[in-house]
Amino acid sequence: QNKVKIKVEGMTCNSCVESIEKMMSSVEGVKTIKVSLENKEAVIDFDPQQTDPTLLKDGIDNMGFDASLEN
Amino acid sequence: MATQTHEFTVEMTCEGCSGAVNRVLGKKEGVEKFDVDLPGKKVFVTTSLTSDEILETLKKTGKATNYVGTKN
Ligand SMILES: [Cu+2]
Ligand SMILES: [Cu+2]
Repeated sequence: QNKVKIKVEGMTCNSCVESIEKMMSSVEGVKTIKVSLENKEAVIDFDPQQTDPTLLKDGIDNMGFDASLEN
Repeated sequence: MATQTHEFTVEMTCEGCSGAVNRVLGKKEGVEKFDVDLPGKKVFVTTSLTSDEILETLKKTGKATNYVGTKN
């Protein structure tokens, strides 16, 4: 499965959304990313050869947002 | 090593931005104290780390950031 949904806390507006999308779309292995302010989540399409859900979650977390994987 | 207070500008526009800055600095080891001024788009960091290291940390938020200088 190359799609992951990540819970993201701490976003307050569209500029938060944009900065996460911009930053994470430049990460290796990320094909597409869609961040929703309303649902407090990021949906990422990724290449499993290059990255994994934990790395992607950590990437958002390191930007200063509270990110966690949903099961 | 002696600590210094460094001043940075960070392109923060909302509380999400300042929250992110708070979080990355709070997690950074070697940061003694910091102040985030959202309306002024400024961040003051007291640390024994170099200004470059702090700048790298601030850049993780994805916001445009610049080093201004040391404060006493
Ligand atoms: Cu925002
Ligand atoms: Cu913001």
